[in-house]
Amino acid sequence: MLVWLFSFFLLIALLGLLIFQLMSLADLEFDYINPYDSALRINSVVLPEFITQGVLCLLFLLSGHWFMFLLCAPNLYYNFRLYTRRQHLVDVTEIFNMLDWEKKQRFVKLIYTVILLFFSIFWMVWTALEDD
Amino acid sequence: MQPMGNEKPGPTNFPGRPASPFLSSGPVVEKTGPPNFPGRPASPPFAAPIPFLSPVPAENEKPGPPTFLGRPLSPFVAAPQTTMTTVPSFSGPVAAGSEASGYRAAPPVRFNGPSMPFSHQPLPDVVGDFQRFPIPSYPSSIQSVTTIHGLPSAGQPMLTQPGLPSPGGQQQQAFPPPINFRPQPPQPQIPSVLMRPPPQSSNFMPRGSVPPLPLESSFPGPKPNLQSSIMHGYPNRQTTPVSNVPLGQAASPFITTQQGGFVHPTMGAPPLGMNSREQLQYPGVGPPVGVQSLVEDFSSLTVGSVPGSMDPGIDSKALPRPLDGDVEPDSYFQMYPLNCHPKYLRLTSPAIPNSQSLLSRWHLPLGAVVHPLAEASDGEEVPIVNFGPTGIIRCRRCRTYVNPYVTFTDGGRKWRCNICALLNDVPGDYFSLLDASGRRCDADQRPELMKGSVEFVAPTEYMVRPPMPPLYFFLIDVSLSAVRSGMLETVAKTIKSCLDDLPGFPRTQIGFLTFDSALHFYNMKSSLTQPQMMVVADLDDIFVPLPDDLLVNLSESRSVVDAFLDSLPSMFQDNVNIESAFGPALKAAFMVMSQLGGKLLIFQSTLPSLGIGRLKLRGDDIRVYGTDKEHALRIPEDPFYKQMAADLTKYQIGVNVYAFSDRYSDIASLGTLAKYTGGQVYYYPSFQGGTHKEKLSYELARDLTRETAWESVMRVRCGKGVRFTTYHGHFMLRSTDLLALPAVDCDKAFAMQLSLEETLLTTQTVYIQVALLYTSSSGERRIRVHTAAAPVVSDLGEMYRHADTGSLVCLLSRLAIEKTLSHKLEDARHAIQLRIVKGLREYRNLYAVQHRLGGRMIFPESLKFLPLYGLALLKSIPIRGGYADVQLDERCAAGFNVMILPVKRLLKALYPTLIRIDEYLAKATTSADDLGNFSKRLPLSAESLDARGLYIYDDGFRIIIWFGRMLSSNITTSLLGVDLSGIPDLSKVSLCEHDNHISRKLMGILKRFRESDPSFYQLCHLVRQGEQPRESLLLLFNLIEDQSGGTVGYVDWIQQIHRQVQQSA
Repeated sequence: MLVWLFSFFLLIALLGLLIFQLMSLADLEFDYINPYDSALRINSVVLPEFITQGVLCLLFLLSGHWFMFLLCAPNLYYNFRLYTRRQHLVDVTEIFNMLDWEKKQRFVKLIYTVILLFFSIFWMVWTALEDD
Repeated sequence: MQPMGNEKPGPTNFPGRPASPFLSSGPVVEKTGPPNFPGRPASPPFAAPIPFLSPVPAENEKPGPPTFLGRPLSPFVAAPQTTMTTVPSFSGPVAAGSEASGYRAAPPVRFNGPSMPFSHQPLPDVVGDFQRFPIPSYPSSIQSVTTIHGLPSAGQPMLTQPGLPSPGGQQQQAFPPPINFRPQPPQPQIPSVLMRPPPQSSNFMPRGSVPPLPLESSFPGPKPNLQSSIMHGYPNRQTTPVSNVPLGQAASPFITTQQGGFVHPTMGAPPLGMNSREQLQYPGVGPPVGVQSLVEDFSSLTVGSVPGSMDPGIDSKALPRPLDGDVEPDSYFQMYPLNCHPKYLRLTSPAIPNSQSLLSRWHLPLGAVVHPLAEASDGEEVPIVNFGPTGIIRCRRCRTYVNPYVTFTDGGRKWRCNICALLNDVPGDYFSLLDASGRRCDADQRPELMKGSVEFVAPTEYMVRPPMPPLYFFLIDVSLSAVRSGMLETVAKTIKSCLDDLPGFPRTQIGFLTFDSALHFYNMKSSLTQPQMMVVADLDDIFVPLPDDLLVNLSESRSVVDAFLDSLPSMFQDNVNIESAFGPALKAAFMVMSQLGGKLLIFQSTLPSLGIGRLKLRGDDIRVYGTDKEHALRIPEDPFYKQMAADLTKYQIGVNVYAFSDRYSDIASLGTLAKYTGGQVYYYPSFQGGTHKEKLSYELARDLTRETAWESVMRVRCGKGVRFTTYHGHFMLRSTDLLALPAVDCDKAFAMQLSLEETLLTTQTVYIQVALLYTSSSGERRIRVHTAAAPVVSDLGEMYRHADTGSLVCLLSRLAIEKTLSHKLEDARHAIQLRIVKGLREYRNLYAVQHRLGGRMIFPESLKFLPLYGLALLKSIPIRGGYADVQLDERCAAGFNVMILPVKRLLKALYPTLIRIDEYLAKATTSADDLGNFSKRLPLSAESLDARGLYIYDDGFRIIIWFGRMLSSNITTSLLGVDLSGIPDLSKVSLCEHDNHISRKLMGILKRFRESDPSFYQLCHLVRQGEQPRESLLLLFNLIEDQSGGTVGYVDWIQQIHRQVQQSA
């Protein structure tokens, strides 16, 4: 039960970080913000996002929820790959050329996370009912 | 709402300003004028359904003069080719009525007998006139004519035949209208082919400017004009065009044009002249003579007929070659005489497609090459306009600057923006009465209403800080190799010699920093007699030892600066330090300059080896080539460089990199600094003071003394429905469409791609306005504005016909180079080839149906050089070969160069000049001006080289003089002072003037060549026939028409292209 509650909060945090990044990108696109600030904002939350995601996976792994872990794993692998290729940060000089891709990538992550969240809530309720 | 627009540079900008997504609104604004535009689009900028050109028809109905002012609605008519005028009787009205577009179709029928007594007026005047006084100029006599014919009514039915884009413009399709129309039976024709300019002259012109349909019905006056020409000569002679066809008038303009011109009236004019020209130009190449060939609208080459036969089937002499150099497209400049000169702005296709589906069939890139500060020739300087307290007149919604295409209405109290069609108030100070034609009475005195290029003096609202002084900061490597190669000495001397010519006296600021394994700062305070040197050896925690006095005012500290430059070479002459703390030095320079911004010149002769930003030797690995990691060699290795470049731009610092190493020095990383700061990369491989001194000092001097625009931003606006999306060149994007250029000068051009945002464009003309806001060296804030109009067309053939090879190649090459940064070289080459093939295939499809093309390769006249330039591009340094073909550094440096070259220089670099000069030199009497008569440019092929000749090869970066083996010894002795056989190695010989006329003449030629292309110094290399490997390296590999080292020759290339075009064609 505790695990689900914890994962729920992690997922909410993840959602928040992603939405924040998407908003920064949208602001940039509509010229509310300059690329330097935008890149700074996004880059400051990229690592927290990756770490949160890693912790979530670890949590599922350690608590033995294999199914949820497998669901998380592709995202973890993708983040890991970005990180090792040093492509995880947005590049302020090319940000406008990459805008579409960056947005798409984050949008997919967002949907993915929402799905995870549903699963998580489902399991949480399920376990809560079982406990009763 | 803060007033700063984006185009206001300065460290402090980017207040979180609520921009709107709309093209026009705030963001676009150089500076959103605070008063005018307070609430961000309270009215959604484009939401209001104001059709772009809607005003026109509306205004026609009440034929109020204002409409016509400077609005070349039917640009095509205005063009000189209009000569093809029209069979007035049906065509005029019909076309006008039927075409949704406002173009005055000038159907190209030539019925007028050759003897027509029309005087042909010089175009520009005509155009000017009609635009200004369209209505008044109608001769009354003509009106009567109209009535006679009673055409108006006839015209209406034509509506059913909208100028559909039958791609090929088949004759049958084209003609029906006339036939139906023409009640009279075909009259005897006038058989003669009229080559002379048709009679359309002034009276026709006015017609052109008049907007289409409504006019016809309600306002008969103008119509007659169209017909007038006919009327004059042969009122009754008009015949149906159909009857003409069988006659097969060779190259008759009529037939030619009908394909494009008649069916799509918009295009009418140009093809006309073209066809006849083609015939002349390729007499041998032309298609087999026959009726069919007579109506062809394209150029063609006969390509090997029998598959598999050894004979290539191509006459290599007949292949098109750009031996006249780049020809600026004048057709659309003539259509829109108020456009800025093409040297400032060139579209790859001056005919804008009207739909996305049409654009997708075009395959070649659609875009523009902008060269905002191109050097103006004498007498054509960009006029400077100062509005004073009135403020600059701009559209309050889309922020477009006032330009020749805006229209004044309401008695001169309002003006309509040509880009967004918003009606703006004319400020009181700017008010002027309109004359009868709707033109402002004072237009002649207002360059901004008469010229496509103007410069506005910007008031203080366009500044975030006082205009900066010109500032030059030098970051000089003084390690062992820099000293030993002589670089340090040359640089110090050159800088010293340029001090008097630095722009912006007396405000100019200057500063120096040298480095090896430590950083050396120099205090140049004016009260000192000698500069004080301060050494900072702590590279991890960089600090600036002195807050002020590292950057000093040049005029105040002149003596200290002089003393410093005098002593600089000797100070380090015994330096044995081989390390380079480049990264820390760059950071230090950044800290010193960040207050003001300016230009940072970096002289680097080794690989950065210490501190932050150190780089590895990574260019040596041959195994990387051909793998997916290959491209990584061409992008910066350390993110430090990109980050620094971004920061430098933010603080208005432009970087020029001078690199000298004889070994790998990672130009890919160093050049990044220039790439994002609007700078330039100069690369001198294996720099030797003795031989390269002149080149370095010339180019450095030019860099220092050329007129520079400081802290600038550039934005390109265009009408609704189209948008520039991607930009290519050296700059940094500060918002989606705002280019930040800390320092920009006359040697930088920018390319950009255009995309359509709407599936169907409803406008007939697209206006493009380039605005560059900058601080001049004199400390004035200015806005340079270039405006151009381009017609929207619905026919693919038109796009091809108007395509501009020069800008197309420029854009293609930049795309290819960007591709090499993320893909293999081979992929980039393949992409170029594919684009050319696709483009030509689509073109072929246009004509394949009605013409027997057989083994001929066809291409539009406008693109006849495209395959050749494509081949040259594949063989150019940045893209050719693999590991062994070009040193990595050289490849990267050349790549950076291509990204800034303007069209003309790029074309010259791709297809260099090769001329034979021995005959010219041998003639005693001729002067330098006769060179053109003696020698013409030769094809770049080894066949052009004759062992008895002396040749000059000039690609804009270097000059190579090739001595034939059997060249008369008289010439060589005169040139070199000794006989050629006495010199074992020509690479050591430098050319100097000897006291004889041959030598003087040669030097005269070299001087002229260099003057014709002043942005680089063309170092002269001498090479003798058979002197390997130098000959191959310098010259033979560069003869791009030849097959060499795994690359194809021109003939094979054409065949290859042809084969691919035919596949699935």
